[in-house]
Formats: sequence, C-alpha cells, structure tokens
Amino acid sequence: MTIIDNAHAGSVSSLGTPRLLAGVDQVGHVDAAHHRALHGDPVLRSRAWLLGAMREVNLLGRGGAAFPVATKLEAMPTGSSTAILVNGSEGEPASRKDRTLMTAVPHLVIDGALVAAHALDTQVITIAIHDPWSYESLVRAARERPDADAISVVRTRDGFVGGEIRAVINGLNAGVARPGGRRHLPHTHGMSGRPTFASNVETFAQIALLTGMGVADYARTGSPVEPGSSLVTLLGDVVRPGVLEVPNGTPLEMLLPGQADAPVLIGGYHGTWTRAAHDLPLTRSSLRAAGAPLGAGVIARPFPGTCVLSEVAAVSRWLAAESTGQCGPCFFGLPALADDMQAFADGTGSEAQAIRRLEQVRGRGACAHPDGAVQFMSSAITTLADDIRVHRLHGACGRPPSAVLPLPRSAR
Amino acid sequence: MTSIAVDWTRCEGHGICARLLHEKISLDEWGFPLIDEPEVEPHLVKAARQAAMACPALALRVE
Ligand code: SF4
Ligand code: SF4
Repeated sequence: MTIIDNAHAGSVSSLGTPRLLAGVDQVGHVDAAHHRALHGDPVLRSRAWLLGAMREVNLLGRGGAAFPVATKLEAMPTGSSTAILVNGSEGEPASRKDRTLMTAVPHLVIDGALVAAHALDTQVITIAIHDPWSYESLVRAARERPDADAISVVRTRDGFVGGEIRAVINGLNAGVARPGGRRHLPHTHGMSGRPTFASNVETFAQIALLTGMGVADYARTGSPVEPGSSLVTLLGDVVRPGVLEVPNGTPLEMLLPGQADAPVLIGGYHGTWTRAAHDLPLTRSSLRAAGAPLGAGVIARPFPGTCVLSEVAAVSRWLAAESTGQCGPCFFGLPALADDMQAFADGTGSEAQAIRRLEQVRGRGACAHPDGAVQFMSSAITTLADDIRVHRLHGACGRPPSAVLPLPRSAR
Repeated sequence: MTSIAVDWTRCEGHGICARLLHEKISLDEWGFPLIDEPEVEPHLVKAARQAAMACPALALRVE
C-alpha cells in the first residue's frame, strides 16, 4: 500500500499503483508542471471515440447514482449551447474523496472537463465546489494553465441535499440550492436552461485518465466488469482510515480485516447497513446487486465493543435537519423517524411504528433525500436487530458510543 | 390509463383530496395524502379530476 499524507485530507493512500492519486505521495499537491510530467497534455478525443471507450471500460458515474457515463454523454447535444458541470460539492459529511481529489490533483479534474467539453464541442464549463480549500485549489490550478480560461469555478452553498446535482444547478441559476422536483432533469434543463452534462469530480478525473491512457492501459487494473480504480473513504475499524484509491473488484475483506460479520455502513448517510459486506468485491454492480450500493464511496465499520445505535440516532437526527422543508412527508416524517431511532437507543423503541413510518416517507418527496434517509434507517433496524433487543431489555447496552461517523459540528 | 400523483413541493396537506377521493387517497399521520395505487379505475376518473380542481395548492395531478 502506498501511503500519502496530505494536510487537508487526512490519510490518503492507495492499494496498488495510484492512478488518480499519482504523484501525491511525493508532493501532496500535484501542480501544473508536475501534472504535465506525469500525464502529459490532456488528450482530446471525438465524442464517438469517447463514447466507445466509456462503454468498453463500463465507466460509471462516481457521484452516487453510478449511472453509465456513456449513456449520459450520448444524450447530450453538441455545440456551444451545451454546458459542462463538474460537481465538486461533496455534501456527504462522511466522504472526503472528492475534496482529496480536488486539493491533491486539481489538474486531472480540469483535464477531464476539457476532454468532455471538446467531445461536446462547447467551451461552457462550470466547476461547482463547496469546500474552501478545494475551491482555492481549483482556482489556483485554473490560473496556472493557459487552456483553462473558459472554466468558471464557483462556490456552492452548504448542505447535503444542496450537493445533489439538480440542487446545485438550481443554486447556481436562482441562488437557492434545493431540488426543483423530479421533472427537472439536468440533461434538458440545466445551467441557465442549457442542456448540461453534469457529473461528479471523480468522474471527470476518470475521463481524463481514460483518454490519456487509452482503453487497454486503463483496463489493465480493476475488475473485468468494471475496469479501473475508485476512490473510497474508509472510516472506523478498517485497514486504514482515510481516502483510499482501490482497484475495482478488490475484495472488501481486504479493506475490512477481522470481524467478518460486524455491521458495516456502505455508501454514506443515504447508504446501507449490512453484515454481509466481507464477502463482496468492490464493484458498483455487485454492491448494488447485494442491496448496498457504493453511493458516495463511504465504507464505515464501527469498532467492536461500541454502541452503534446511538450513532445511528445521531446521524438520523442530522438527516432530519437536512430536509429543505419543501415536501410535507419529508419535513414531518424524518424528524418523527429520528425520534424513533433515538427511542431504539434509549431502549423504548417500537419496530412496528418505525417500519410503518418508514413506509410512509419512502418515495414521497421531490428529491432522493427521504428515500436515502429511509434506506439508512431501515437497514440499521434490520442489521442492528440484536442491539435493539439488548437495549430494550437493559435500557442501554453499557458500551461507549460509537464515534466513527462524522457530522458537521452543529449537529452533534 | 389515468393516474394520480402529488407534487410534493406544492402540497400543503389540506386533505381536501382525501375527502373528495377517499376511494384512492388516505392521509398519513401528518395530514399528507397517501396513494396506494396511482392508477385510477374508469368509474373514479371524474371524481379524481374534481379532487385535482379542488386542491387549493394545485398539487394533485391527474394524467
Ligand atoms: S424531499 Fe425533502 S429534501 Fe427533498 S426537496 Fe422535498 S423537503 Fe427538500
Ligand atoms: S388537497 Fe392538495 S394540498 Fe391538500 S393534501 Fe390533497 S394534494 Fe395536498
């Protein structure tokens, strides 16, 4: 394992040879000259070439939905009315991978944006970032090079829901970062009403690697179904906490040594608790098939001998507070559910009531936030059934609270 | 086939829809409409349209 230390990112490392994070172990931050020495100039390819290459390596979006990038690109019209949106808002508090990427290798992100813009024959590129260090890093990187004049780097508002692509677009268009309802899709109504090719920062960095390396080299690592590598954020009782670049297909057992059936959270705070992670390979398709999608790339395992229910309750409270208050079932339902989750930790919870409420909230909002929160809470109830029973019998479990899931300071 | 859906960013939980179309819509514990089966049977289409027109928030869609 290559271990890389980066002041703003905590621990950063890779299994195998780093690609996205190449050079980071020597210098922490890869500047323009060093980036050129490692990767050369961005390799600009036609839309047709890029579509073919993306299909061959089965490139999936790195933001959470893991949508095939080629399908998205193919739906875009070409020409100067099309916009490129690089989403670096990373609203997920448990994830650090996008911030790490932006502070350590900003030029790879810019290369990817230029490759996509070239393929779509446009110059309209926006990089939207919340984190101040990442923002600084991209602004500085764009100034360091002559080919980034057309790129505008903008700050976005805080928030989990505010980091969702449609909310980012609304925020940039109207100044209010909240989702505009399920009917406003970015590929038709995006930036300033333009058709917009929008994806996560890591997706763009992968696009830059793909044209730079070519299909054969890109596919030399990873799994046959999903060649290449991914960035993940590991938390708690894991091989090494922090941001890790891993070849796709790596057995999760390698990231989670020991404790084969301990509860693991996969994906983030819209993610899934499971005790069956150990046997799975890290590919987006196999994790989705197992009912625990990789989402924002977070993999967290509480330490043995700690109380996980109390931490689940704290995250549930935070999820409730993140509702933007536009949709009744989300605005009223999530706080009621957060109370239910607290009640489990206090030993007074009712599974029947919580499950009934979960069903009442699922699917009843304008964005994916209530569904994601429901996924987090319902999988916790199933996975932590034994803990819930112990708390009910004894009023608590007597263990120290688990503290591996970070929350913005205001929520604790 | 006609179906009904709620625009959640508009719905204010007045519950009028549940009164006018109780065959299809009930209310959750917070007063917001619960639709078990969005497809509207032919004999209820007229009532569904009336409920949509009566919704003060223009939140109930029939299409
Ligand atoms: S579902 Fe919740 S978070 Fe999403 S727009 Fe509606 S109120 Fe806001
Ligand atoms: S009448 Fe309209 S606003 Fe009232 S609950 Fe029904 S859909 Fe919502």
